[in-house]
Amino acid sequence: MNAFLSAFWAEALKARRSKVSLLTVAAFSLLPIVDGLFMFILKNPERARAMGLINAKAQITAGVADWPTYFQVLLLGTAIGGAILFAFITAWVFGREFSDHTIKEILALPTPRGVIVGAKFVLTAAWMLGLSLLIFVIGLGIGMAVDIPGWSQELVESSFWSLMLVALLTFMLMPFVAWFASVGRGYLPPLGWAFLTMALAQIAIVLGWGDWFPWSVPGLLSSLNGPRAEPIGMHSYVVVLLVFVAGIAATFAWWQSADQAR
Amino acid sequence: MNFAVETNGLSKSFGKVRAIDSVSLRVGQGEIYGFLGLNGAGKTTTIRALLGMIRPSAGAVRVLGQAVGPNGRGPWRRVGHLVERPAAYPELTVRENLEIARRLQGIPDRDTTSRIIERLGLASYAARKAGGLSTGNLQRLGLARALLHEPELLILDEPANGLDPAGVVEIRELLASLAREKGVTVFMSSHILTEVDRLATRIGIIHKGNLLEELEAEKLEELRSQRLEIKAHNLEAAQCALTQAGYAVKVSGSTLLLYEARAIEAPDEVATILVNAGAPPTRLAVEQEMLEDYFLRLTGGKE
Repeated sequence: MNAFLSAFWAEALKARRSKVSLLTVAAFSLLPIVDGLFMFILKNPERARAMGLINAKAQITAGVADWPTYFQVLLLGTAIGGAILFAFITAWVFGREFSDHTIKEILALPTPRGVIVGAKFVLTAAWMLGLSLLIFVIGLGIGMAVDIPGWSQELVESSFWSLMLVALLTFMLMPFVAWFASVGRGYLPPLGWAFLTMALAQIAIVLGWGDWFPWSVPGLLSSLNGPRAEPIGMHSYVVVLLVFVAGIAATFAWWQSADQAR
Repeated sequence: MNFAVETNGLSKSFGKVRAIDSVSLRVGQGEIYGFLGLNGAGKTTTIRALLGMIRPSAGAVRVLGQAVGPNGRGPWRRVGHLVERPAAYPELTVRENLEIARRLQGIPDRDTTSRIIERLGLASYAARKAGGLSTGNLQRLGLARALLHEPELLILDEPANGLDPAGVVEIRELLASLAREKGVTVFMSSHILTEVDRLATRIGIIHKGNLLEELEAEKLEELRSQRLEIKAHNLEAAQCALTQAGYAVKVSGSTLLLYEARAIEAPDEVATILVNAGAPPTRLAVEQEMLEDYFLRLTGGKE
């Protein structure tokens, strides 16, 4: 446990000192801000009309200005934005050791490699959880400031858990990003993988296989009440879990045994 | 005998490239072992194998009596290492980089970091971000990390890289004192022969992945050939007189070189011949072959 705490402390320090942490907070905070802006425009059609283009876009995305729609957009944004941002975080946490050539400093230590990899995964999980909580809190604040109609305690609770579920599922797709960052020794391969899976997720949804394609599941879940509602079932969670386990196992195995010749 | 480092038939191939081939070396406890080789000879690959960072294609590695890897297994609490150019987290200060190392080494004493910062002369840089350090100070940071946990064995890849001349001497003295006073074993690679020559008690020479020779440092002194170097105002007359006296004379710029034992053992006779020929020497000295020349002679012969 001591070794894990030390490794986690090291990972947390690296993240704290990096501008990446602030950057991700800033990027993810945009989501509730933009969502709130849409609600504001929808609530004030005169002003919205004066703004022309923004009004048209706001209606396409949101429709009506109420709390259910507001949360729905927040959820969908988390699924899409999270897929990119979480991949960015994972790519940074794992890829930086190669990019900064620090990998060779953490391979032959009393702290086992597996513990270091574990600490990296826990850090990414904590980071993503923090961001998800942050946008929910900011979202609530902005929603209240805009004074959106249709508030209910029940809706807030169910939306919170839906957001956490989408964030969790998105996180569970990240170990393969970590694996690509490790095998590819840097940032580009994992980000390439993330964008590829995003594109494939859209194709799977169009083909009607979205519920079976792990990378489509968070997006489908977040738009269940929308026009693209598809049956998310236990099988969808199982495929995500399988990808999670496979990604974790592949990343640990690679760190344990791959040649570190560079 | 217990060896601090022991490899048996260690080989590593990357695709079709054989980086090291059947390297079997032994480093005794308390020795300073200089691992010499040109760039690309296989030094770093060997060091990575010693540290379990690569899986040998064949052969085995034991460090401090323990088999190394796979899965990163090894006596790493007792080993300090520096592989290639040192790396550090650029946005972290020198102290923070060392704090990470301290925690990952499992050292509870917080003062350890301050002590090593002082010892490596990094005090004035402790609060500076590693990304802004000079190559020399980055090297010091790497050495500080290697020495932080007071290891029994140091595996150092080109430890003098990037250091200024004063720094080179300082690190040399530090390593020598660690070996002398604390019995620390040092395995250090280098392509700079004089650096190894001044510090190592034993030397291994690697070339194109093969360990060509392992010898005591004193033995290396003996093996380096000697020669008599002669300078004179009238170089042609001097060369002519020596050739007539039966010496095999080589000319190198404005210097005549004699490699024969009778010249090296009796330079006075050579001087007499030159004086009698009206070409007295302005310089007459028995010189040992440059270490570089010896090394190139050895490696060149095995092309």
